[in-house]
Amino acid sequence: MANPLNLAMVPRALRNMVSRPATRRYPAEVRTPFDGARGKIEFDVQTCNYCMLCARRCPAAAITVNREERTWVIEHLRCIACNVCVEVCAKKSLTMSNEPRKPHTPADAHDGHRPGHEEWHGPAPEAAVTSSRGTGA
Amino acid sequence: MKRTIIPFGPQHPVLPEPLVLDLILDDEKVIDAVPTIGYIHRGLEMMVERVEYTEMGFVVERICGICSFMHGMGYCVSLESIMNVEVPERAKWLRLIWAEISRVQSHLLWLGLGADAFGFENLFMHCWRMREEVLDIFEKTTGGRIIHSVNRIGGVKRDVSDSELVAILARLQELGKTFEETSRIFASDPSIAHRLGGIGVLSKEDAYETAAVGPMARASGIRTDTRLYGANLYDQIEFEPVVETAGDCLARAVVRMREIPQSIDIVRQAIEKMPKGEGLPLENKPRGNPVGETFTRLEQPRGEVLYYIKANGTKYLERFRARTPTFANIPAMIKLVKGCELADVPNIILTIDPCISCTER
Repeated sequence: MANPLNLAMVPRALRNMVSRPATRRYPAEVRTPFDGARGKIEFDVQTCNYCMLCARRCPAAAITVNREERTWVIEHLRCIACNVCVEVCAKKSLTMSNEPRKPHTPADAHDGHRPGHEEWHGPAPEAAVTSSRGTGA
Repeated sequence: MKRTIIPFGPQHPVLPEPLVLDLILDDEKVIDAVPTIGYIHRGLEMMVERVEYTEMGFVVERICGICSFMHGMGYCVSLESIMNVEVPERAKWLRLIWAEISRVQSHLLWLGLGADAFGFENLFMHCWRMREEVLDIFEKTTGGRIIHSVNRIGGVKRDVSDSELVAILARLQELGKTFEETSRIFASDPSIAHRLGGIGVLSKEDAYETAAVGPMARASGIRTDTRLYGANLYDQIEFEPVVETAGDCLARAVVRMREIPQSIDIVRQAIEKMPKGEGLPLENKPRGNPVGETFTRLEQPRGEVLYYIKANGTKYLERFRARTPTFANIPAMIKLVKGCELADVPNIILTIDPCISCTER
């Protein structure tokens, strides 16, 4: 039977008064992401051969590849960070960064940039690499 | 006598889950409860008809955020049995370890929510602080806190090194010691005993008749646990299901509390028994498309879950069905709510550990 004068919580309550908080002051203090954490897809345009395997296997249809125009497009807001594209990429052009995706603000959507939209234009034969990045992705 | 109908949910302060229940009251006494299922129906089961079976695993994981690992595992185990894929030994053990860790986090989450519901906010924060440590283990090993995406048909995608497994076990055992103190508070605090003790008593016969599953049935004295059937390597684990006989809200809380140290012990046994070494095979990729049908049963934190899959040889499955534990526990919940006081309804509903995302899919 429960004792009405139960003091089981008291030692812990006293400990809590002198211990550090379990939470973080988030925007000011950010935890370093764990090594294996799945965060954001990074793309290396130099090594990609536009085989389109990542686009075909992406369960969320977040990746669009155009072999003729040599464009590689990812919609980060569609991406579910499942790591499938990284696993299937034969040229190891895709990597999973452990940094989480940054949140978007309405101010990011300026100049027709879509939030989370990241577009890469690969080298046409003997042409320089250009990229246009969406903001905040 | 004039009767009042009070809608309990979809939005209710005590429950983050959108449970829809109409309570028919006679004064303060509940005389009937009418559940409505489908408020957050997303049609995930029907998605198999247009999502390839290899990709469907990621959808199945998203049936519910708390049992996401077990949902993914159940789907993969079902398809492995249809396609006769032999899963490597180490992958099976890793699945078992992750499944038990997810049981720990689910029970900690529930204990926190339960404490919050009966007004013990301090205890709620303690439980969730411990849960956060478990989620850190998940993030380190699988890459995701809630959605793990490590299960694939034929195995798992990530390995956890032996030294890391030992560190995880040490961390879990330390957490178990901290939890002992919390469970003492749960067991001895007078306000908890007053709010939960003797409330919502489900007799053994009623639990059997309403086909209650999981902690709900075990708190009423039924020794039932899908893990006892020995599938997914549980035959190599020594454990005895936690059974309480009181059948009240407190007993259901105590069952979940006692299952946390038990799950930590199962993780210890698994780490001892699993094949050691680096670079062991983790995945046998299936060939072709599945043909056939299968039933799979798993013991989720909330009880027995049942998957039915029918495949017709194309890359799209013909039928996928998940019978989740909360769905199975709703008849028992309605039985308990009938005849109780209105003020006890939130506690009774919470102690079945309802997961409406699972139920309505």
